[in-house]
Amino acid sequence: MNDETKKQINEKYEREVSKGEKFWPDTIYRDLVMSLGIFLLLILLATFIGIPAEPKADPSDTSYVPRPEWYFLFLFKFLALYGQIPVLGKIEWIATALIPGVAVGILALIPFIEKNSHRYYGKRILSISIMTIMVVGIVLLTMVSEVPTVAEDGSKLIGILQTIMGIAIPLAAYILLFLMSFVFKSSTRTMIWTTVISALAMIAFTGATLALAPESTHEEAEVATTLVDQILAGQDLYSVHCAECHGDDGSVAVIQGVEGLEGEKITPINSRDVLYTITDSAMGEVIAYGRPNAGMPPFGKTYGGELTKGEMDYITIFMRYMWDDRFEAPVIPELFPPLADGEVPSYDVHLQPIVKRYCISCHRAGKENNNYLMTSYDEILKTGDNAANNIIPGDANSYLLQVIQRHEITDANGEVIIGVMPPSNALKPNIMDVFTRWIMNGMPQTAEEAAKISPPPAATPAP
Amino acid sequence: MWNNIYNWLDERVGFNDLYANLLDRPEPKTSWWNTLGSASMFLFVLQGLTGIFLTVYYTPSPDHAYDSVQYIMEGVAFGWLIRGIHHWGATLMVLVVFIHMLRVFFTASFKYPRELTWLIGIGLLLTTLGMGFTGYLLPWNQKAFWATTVGTQIAGTVPFIGEFTLKALRGGPDLSALTLQRFFSAHIWMIPGILAALIGVHLFLIMKHGESHWPKKDD
Repeated sequence: MNDETKKQINEKYEREVSKGEKFWPDTIYRDLVMSLGIFLLLILLATFIGIPAEPKADPSDTSYVPRPEWYFLFLFKFLALYGQIPVLGKIEWIATALIPGVAVGILALIPFIEKNSHRYYGKRILSISIMTIMVVGIVLLTMVSEVPTVAEDGSKLIGILQTIMGIAIPLAAYILLFLMSFVFKSSTRTMIWTTVISALAMIAFTGATLALAPESTHEEAEVATTLVDQILAGQDLYSVHCAECHGDDGSVAVIQGVEGLEGEKITPINSRDVLYTITDSAMGEVIAYGRPNAGMPPFGKTYGGELTKGEMDYITIFMRYMWDDRFEAPVIPELFPPLADGEVPSYDVHLQPIVKRYCISCHRAGKENNNYLMTSYDEILKTGDNAANNIIPGDANSYLLQVIQRHEITDANGEVIIGVMPPSNALKPNIMDVFTRWIMNGMPQTAEEAAKISPPPAATPAP
Repeated sequence: MWNNIYNWLDERVGFNDLYANLLDRPEPKTSWWNTLGSASMFLFVLQGLTGIFLTVYYTPSPDHAYDSVQYIMEGVAFGWLIRGIHHWGATLMVLVVFIHMLRVFFTASFKYPRELTWLIGIGLLLTTLGMGFTGYLLPWNQKAFWATTVGTQIAGTVPFIGEFTLKALRGGPDLSALTLQRFFSAHIWMIPGILAALIGVHLFLIMKHGESHWPKKDD
């Protein structure tokens, strides 16, 4: 650029300024309105959309599908598509370092690449076309970022569509535009049409991809945010994983009724000895790693167990607030709503939380339990070696009712086939009452079914 | 009395000079598209303020980061609002900075005499993305942890310097307490420092050359 051009540019700018406006108040007024608008928008977003809850980081949970912040999604998708290209796709650093590096380099050096002094759109159609296709590509790649490149049935069609949209069309358009600009010397109009048609083709392929895309199976993880929720989550996890050996209140000193650990002496984990001397993080480590010498298996996913870091934290929180006398527990809602006189309990409202807390730790797949599983309504009624006698509608001699009332079931030879349940501590009387009423009234599943056979509230005078 | 105070200050500060140099500047006719730069700066200031409030309760250690963020959301008065603004502000800032860059590109405002302003602007775009990347890890949730694991892995694939970069970002071969500590430090000290300095130079250049006018047919 020679001095003459520079002088012309500066003179032109002076002319524009002379018929322009003042920074204060003309320009700054719009700036302030814009900023205020953004501020209000942020308050609305924070209030009405908020921030989705997400479970705590768990380095052992390698099954988690990583997702970057949304403005990096297009780059992620680009890497995935690039990996599909035969041969070249195997050289990872071309896509991770070279292409983004060159792109940023070109972006930064644009003033030194496009050196002419033209500013009007029609005179710089090549740069505008390149940038337009780039921006359209970025937006479309972001839109398809949730779509996998290989369908569940192994079909690669969906990946090919995306690769055509994200790599093939832009590349072809770029080559064509360069040829038109430098070799064919095409008109501005032709180049605009080339850009528009390429962009439309990319949009069409994106549409096809989204139409073929499988339903998103993205599930929101449940996160206990309040202390009460965390304690309850911890109690449920404790009931399933720990109560079998340690008892539902952590007081067991000699393990009973557990295959392989019968008669093992352990320290009651609700004792001050344990709670005062073991810190939260040490507690988490004991749960994660187990005590191999004492027979306690590892529970952390890192060591082959089932629990994530967050879940083990909930268990620790539950133990602290329920048993450690230095902690004051918040008000915990009841396990199930208390029953009125004559009211019939239902599985959904009453039995399910009880069974989850007191029974499932043993009565689930992979445990010693006479094949009696209790994780769902159907399982409770239909599984088990003694399914025919476990639950008989209206029969007080149903095996289930006998064993929770501490009567063993014996066969014709006097051998015990089912011991008392739960093996360590008897259930509280109100819980036994729920079981009894439920079986005597024919085991309703939903609250509506139970309400139908319950006597109307008017018939039972309030106490 | 107020007059006396004003005069005393004016003698030492020179309000008239300030007014003439900062506010009373002539500009070419501008449009709403010209507000995106100042909107980016407004978002930077807002992110700075909300970020400072967040550091009052936030603890950058793997044991406490998640819980301290929970506490900000549940326990601190208006903590949800401050964090909500910071969270959405980050998203909006990336968006506004990017659209601002597109506006400058399409109106060719980067041309003589504003080439250096553009270069600094690209630096601002990259540091803004750096803020997003480092800030994403801080809540120490599953999303943050695994996105950063993959993000730093990608940095590790660069030939020759990849392994060094990966270890420098993570503070070791794996994501750990060190990673969180240095991302925190980068997020609240290093990158904002660079960002603020670049914004200063950017603003100086804009005042020196004035805002560019909307291109016409003869430009």
